Amino acid sequence: METTREIFWNVGNVALLVYLLAAVVVFIFIYAFIQRIKLWKIGKEEKRKDQIWERIKSVLVFGFGHKRLLTEPYPGISHFLLFWGFVILLLGTIIIFLQEDILSPIFNLFFLHGNFYLWFSLILDLFGLLAIIGVLLALYRRYILKPERLDNVFDDAFSLILILLILVTGFLTEGARIAFTRPDFERWSFAGWQIALILNPSWTESESLLIWHRFFWWVHLGLAFLFIGYLAYSKLLHIFSSSLSVFFRSFEPKGKLDPILDMENQETFGVSKAEEFTWRQLLDADACTRCGRCQDNCPAHLSEKPLSPKKLIQDLKTNLLLSAKALQKENPDEQRKNLIGESISEDELWACTTCLACQESCPVFVEQVQKVVDLRRYLVLMEAKFPQEITPMFKNLETNYNPWAFGFASRGDWAKDLEVKLLSEDKNVDILFWVGCSGSYDDRNKKVSQALVKILRAANINFGILGQEEKCCGEPARRMGNEYLGQMLIQENIEILKNYGVKKILFACPHGYNTFKNEYPQFGGEYQVYHHTDFILDLIQSGKIKITKKIDENITYHDSCYLGRYNDIYDSPREILKRILEGKIKEMERRREKSFCCGAGGGRMWMEENLGKRINQLRVKQAQETEAKTIASACPYCLTMLSDGIKEIGLEEKLEVNDIAELVASLL
Amino acid sequence: MNIIICIKQVPDTETKIQIKPDSSGIVTEGIKYVVNPYDEYAVEEGVKIKEKFGGEVTVISLGPERAKEAIRTCLAVGADKGIHLNDPAFEGSDSYATAKILAKAISQIPFDIVLTGKQGVDFDNSQVFAYLSRFLDIPFVSVVVGLELSSDLKSATAKREGEGGDKEIIQVQLPAIIAAQKDLNQPRYASLPGIMKAKKKEIKNLSLSDLGLSPDEVGLKGSRVKIENYSQPPERKAGRIIEGEEPAEVCEKLVKLLREEAKII
Repeated sequence: METTREIFWNVGNVALLVYLLAAVVVFIFIYAFIQRIKLWKIGKEEKRKDQIWERIKSVLVFGFGHKRLLTEPYPGISHFLLFWGFVILLLGTIIIFLQEDILSPIFNLFFLHGNFYLWFSLILDLFGLLAIIGVLLALYRRYILKPERLDNVFDDAFSLILILLILVTGFLTEGARIAFTRPDFERWSFAGWQIALILNPSWTESESLLIWHRFFWWVHLGLAFLFIGYLAYSKLLHIFSSSLSVFFRSFEPKGKLDPILDMENQETFGVSKAEEFTWRQLLDADACTRCGRCQDNCPAHLSEKPLSPKKLIQDLKTNLLLSAKALQKENPDEQRKNLIGESISEDELWACTTCLACQESCPVFVEQVQKVVDLRRYLVLMEAKFPQEITPMFKNLETNYNPWAFGFASRGDWAKDLEVKLLSEDKNVDILFWVGCSGSYDDRNKKVSQALVKILRAANINFGILGQEEKCCGEPARRMGNEYLGQMLIQENIEILKNYGVKKILFACPHGYNTFKNEYPQFGGEYQVYHHTDFILDLIQSGKIKITKKIDENITYHDSCYLGRYNDIYDSPREILKRILEGKIKEMERRREKSFCCGAGGGRMWMEENLGKRINQLRVKQAQETEAKTIASACPYCLTMLSDGIKEIGLEEKLEVNDIAELVASLL
Repeated sequence: MNIIICIKQVPDTETKIQIKPDSSGIVTEGIKYVVNPYDEYAVEEGVKIKEKFGGEVTVISLGPERAKEAIRTCLAVGADKGIHLNDPAFEGSDSYATAKILAKAISQIPFDIVLTGKQGVDFDNSQVFAYLSRFLDIPFVSVVVGLELSSDLKSATAKREGEGGDKEIIQVQLPAIIAAQKDLNQPRYASLPGIMKAKKKEIKNLSLSDLGLSPDEVGLKGSRVKIENYSQPPERKAGRIIEGEEPAEVCEKLVKLLREEAKII
């Protein structure tokens, strides 16, 4: 007997019927998918079509390669098995189709036999089994382990069971065929062979096997067609929508907010309706598979606030579907829900610390933070609606260029006794030290500024400050949605820097650093910017400052969101600590990409934390678990929040926070 | 409702006030000016009345050219028109002369209620609304923390802060002057469309001759108070913490200090 098998064996001359049915379900899928594309397209234009090769690479690495999915082994591996099992089985089906209906009848080419057939059978059985393991792992996790972050709806169960049944009936069909035909080489189809042994242990020729085979074959086919037809109406759509999301991911700096351009000539600002998002933002609604990784890393969610990034995206999706329908009718606004207020609450929007943990953990590059800011922009700019306590903060920024009620003229007072050079007196400096609002006005953070001055002096750096000419960098206002105020401050700062011809700027504050690095260029301000952790490490490595003593202590390091996730500066602070510590760096469980926000970002620093637990206290407790006596930080917001957290819990005797600059300066 | 709001542009409360070397005034260079915070409550109340009953809100301010910014700020939060009493002759006016100029301007337009802050945070005289009441011959209620207009718009019920935290409820015939205190409302923040619209709203300049006043009635000549010179208040000494093991011991030291050093008991 030849080493091959007859396609459409035992089912009769049904090829035409099968392909007709296939055409119908594929048509259903294509139709539904086009509807989906139309749905995304109700959004505004956004340019995401550059760098095609990089985009394809992204799909290979993050889609086919599962790079982000695999950062969590259980769900990652489960999905990996399922995904690759299906990819290989699909390829197998395509090969059979090509053989049977293109190459063989048209070109008289026959390759599905001999050794190729044996390996083909082996590989398909292997990946089919792996896919079954993947589904079972997923089912076990979803319905037995029940992690908090998964919410279960009918679609989840239906999709998983559908996939499982397709795989199982495939094996049963194969088993029944082998049981009847019994060619020895089919041992290569090892799974089918085992099933054949069960179906027909005595290897007798039995007519009922033919009936069973036909039954399994039709069920398998029917389920597979159901799958294709169901695809675009279910979460299974993510096979395409999530891939598109990865393909159209942003290659901009992670920490960059999109500006509102030409504000003077716009009539509305921010987003209050689904269609005011861009198509890429709306694609996110379908790309999200509700996997919940974002929620598991969200400080707002973990501190029991109403915000969950997953819920936010899902609520947007519900609103989008409703809006799309309503937009086809008259008076659409009466037939849908308000995006803000009804679909997404204001409390959710104000709970976001813009820490980016959601985006860093999302396997398919959903972009939550820009959406939150877009919605906040609408509230602030159009309606002037925001938590009451922010009003004085905005007004302080307007009149005194700092978020607190300090006069702008006293901005440089922290440096009075240090005789730090002011650019207004002498602009010939190698680098400008941008002190920032915290470093200028907050008593605790003034000490960090002073420590940095000590380090710069020890390294003989020719630096200066702007003193009272420096203004808030605009970061908090922008992230709170006050784009107008943010841009005003940015432009005023750019003007001042232009006057002095400033090129290099040093920051102690990651928020200022991020804004200058990633956002000032949007407004024409291009500078070489350094965060003090990079800068100090360089001073140590180049021998400009010499560490002769060391700190004999174990220290834990708290990653600032805007330094770490926003700008990927994880190693410099740790390298500095290694060089100045006698003891060890005791890492916290949540660190680096998964670091836990201090609770101050996104303007939260100036808002009351009335809902849920206090984020800063949660972080202090995480630090306490390391048994270190000092938390090293590298951000004024973190320093304030963690210091407050320590006081609130009453750990002053056991734990303290110091900026890395202070630790280094203490050794000079 | 024709709602009139008198506002003043004052140095920001965080300004570090410096006295000119000849003590004749303060150094105005580098000062950030804002709308007098108490006037912001008056503006908010005026806009709320308009929103509830309809009408027009006119903001009036006396001051140099820069006071236009303050008027603009009020237009951005919902006032409809601005009147800028702008004439070098007005310079140096005290509360009396200021009220006279304001009264003259207000009396030329229809008004049903006049709102203002209970005091300006620069000189803290807290007099203009009272003089204004006399010149316009209408009643005033000061330090108002709550305001309710009757449905026929003929009268208002004002809650005012009395001495020692007591609240007085006062019913007053309209038109009347209401001088706002801090808790009257929560002044809104300007929306961006509001800011943009404010740029196009009318601010009318009125000078001495427009008002038909004589130069003797305004400025230093028309004032009853003349400021001889300015001086800084004495610098506050740092606080002192009295140390001790027992409360009784600390108390004893405190009493001793109050008696011998502070000489107040």
